[in-house]
Amino acid sequence: MTGLGNRAQPASNDEMLRLEDLKVHFPVKMPFVQRLLQREETVVHAVDGVSFGIRAGEILGLVGESGCGKSTVGRACVRLVKPTAGRIFFDGQDITELGGGKLRALRRRIQIIFQDPHASLNPAMTIGKAIGHPLRIHSSVFGPQKTGSEAFGEWIRQKVLTAMKEVGLTPEEQLYDKYPGDLSGGQKQRVVMARALILEPNLLVVDEGVSMLDMSVRAKVLELMLDLKRRHGLTYLFITHDLATAKFMCDQIAIMYLGRIVEIGPASEIYADPKHPYTKALLQVIPIPDPDRRSKKVLPRGEVPDAVHPPAGCRFHPRCPAVLSSCGWEGRDFVDFLDEHLSDPKRVGDDESVLGPIEDWRAKGLVARLESDPLKVGKAVERVKAVLTEAPVSLAEAVETISSQNRTVIVRFRSPDQLLQTKVQGRTVECLLYQ
Amino acid sequence: MQEGETLGVVGETGCGKSTLGKAILGILPARTLVAGKILFRGRDLTQLSNLMYRRIRGEEIALIFQDPMTRLNPLMRIQDHFLEEIHAHESVSSTEARTRAREALVSMGIHETRIRNYPHEFSGGMRQRIMIALALVLKPSLLIADEPTTSLDVIVEAQILDILQDLKEAYHMSLLLITHNLGIVAEVCDRVAVLYAGKLVELGSVRDIFHKPLHPYTQGLLSSVIHLETKELHSIEGSPPDLIAPPSGCRFHPRCSYAEPICTDKIPPLVEFEPGHFAACHFGDKFL
Repeated sequence: MTGLGNRAQPASNDEMLRLEDLKVHFPVKMPFVQRLLQREETVVHAVDGVSFGIRAGEILGLVGESGCGKSTVGRACVRLVKPTAGRIFFDGQDITELGGGKLRALRRRIQIIFQDPHASLNPAMTIGKAIGHPLRIHSSVFGPQKTGSEAFGEWIRQKVLTAMKEVGLTPEEQLYDKYPGDLSGGQKQRVVMARALILEPNLLVVDEGVSMLDMSVRAKVLELMLDLKRRHGLTYLFITHDLATAKFMCDQIAIMYLGRIVEIGPASEIYADPKHPYTKALLQVIPIPDPDRRSKKVLPRGEVPDAVHPPAGCRFHPRCPAVLSSCGWEGRDFVDFLDEHLSDPKRVGDDESVLGPIEDWRAKGLVARLESDPLKVGKAVERVKAVLTEAPVSLAEAVETISSQNRTVIVRFRSPDQLLQTKVQGRTVECLLYQ
Repeated sequence: MQEGETLGVVGETGCGKSTLGKAILGILPARTLVAGKILFRGRDLTQLSNLMYRRIRGEEIALIFQDPMTRLNPLMRIQDHFLEEIHAHESVSSTEARTRAREALVSMGIHETRIRNYPHEFSGGMRQRIMIALALVLKPSLLIADEPTTSLDVIVEAQILDILQDLKEAYHMSLLLITHNLGIVAEVCDRVAVLYAGKLVELGSVRDIFHKPLHPYTQGLLSSVIHLETKELHSIEGSPPDLIAPPSGCRFHPRCSYAEPICTDKIPPLVEFEPGHFAACHFGDKFL
């Protein structure tokens, strides 16, 4: 891997794949009237500025929780989704805008394997037919014989049987005419792999390829992937939520959170000494299969927020155990904190009557406001100050002013520091702690 | 299972672990053949009338399902889920039922005003916390959690497991944790039952199972776990059998590297090889 991180860098020659500042935004479906009233378009920021390169023969692990955009990156690489912005290079060629016959030719060289092998196979198609299907689709390139001729059919059959043997689908002659329903989960995933490999691609995108498989067969499929890589010089983009599997498989690791890569670099470095608090959290929650090594963990709070309105500053800041006052605190963080405070019967006291109900608070950008009773405004400002003493220190410190205007209480936050990619010990991290 | 104990039931897809949980609650499809006994505090649940069984469900034994996304009725407010359940078991006023529902929700860290929201207004982790609150509102003494964290993200999974453990202690509850994830079992269980193809193959304390597994299937399962210290991959040859015509003798014998002729002929009984450590293997003593 050469150029690291989210920033665009020139493509180098030995890179099989390079993404430069890739963005994929999906429009949110809304009723017509609402769409008219809305000034700006509402979009899901599934991928929001991702850059990385994969060198030929390498495995890059793209790791993150559901909704972080890792699958969208994978789909964009195969051009199953259209990038909103940014560039995708494959083998030095810009494939971002490719269409028609050129795109089809590209698909021979990049294949994708999905999580659910059962859903990836047509239940009414025999295994042999499914695996040979890509050859028929691309027959103009592959078929030495005339399409539809008997010789062509036999040629495909031989190719399919060879591929089946290679992925361990034996006895191949017997399995050839079976249907997906007759096979186990592990076997089905092998069928999907044989089908992906029959066109002899260079790059394989594996999207949670073993997550649905039982533990006892998972290892076999992973071994097969490594074996095929060695034999055919394949390059993998290995997408997973499981850092333990990624550790075993990958040369390079990219940790993704809410559309951004937060840490990327050689797997050995990142596992030995994770830098980003999110990477640390992910590594910490992997259970150790030893009852003598139970430990109390410091978990990030809450869940992955909505990608329609990602948090300001560092997107991980509302959950981060190491958060600073300059990480991106904003109005809605205060409302969330207040919500939590008001729902704690031990701490709430009469705060609810002064600062509640929580629904009356409005947050926009760096500001949170409460339309209050004109008589209560002064008291409310004082109470906000009191409540903030119980807030996380970094949040309280990020508050710039607490003021009142007629009957409105206004809590205003400082602008966050700008987040940059920083090189730290062989990897690139996007975190203020290292800037 | 002892009072206050956490028992992990582990096994792979199709080994019967979820069926076991449903059987205990008597919610298997009608006309399912259930033989044997399910003794709950000395009472055989299989002999109960439907009416009696309904009193046990929720009130004494509660169940949390795998997928919180589909287990809440999308057309019902959270509050109504609670009210329906409380009124089905106790004749209390709506006001009191509502108070208890609010308390249960708040104990799960969800603001009480949200009790009027609908399920789709909550995230996955919150929905699973609501499911737990629903399971606990009647203060059952046994909670069956069937893959409670499988559809959740890893960090939220750890959060939910933390909550379950805290609650178990707070309510003096017993927990039957059904899972395929051995890492979770190692972290939270006191004892472990290993199922294979519908049979209990090993039962023992969590230390027995993880440090001294006696059944070759347990051994294979443990070595196939991929964790951060995994140096090489292991797997079990073959795949789980078809339960319409399961293998004769020990059901694991076609995949077992230690199999002898006796394994094909004779079903191994569950034997206590050391105090509290049971295994159903003809050669269990070989691994002691």
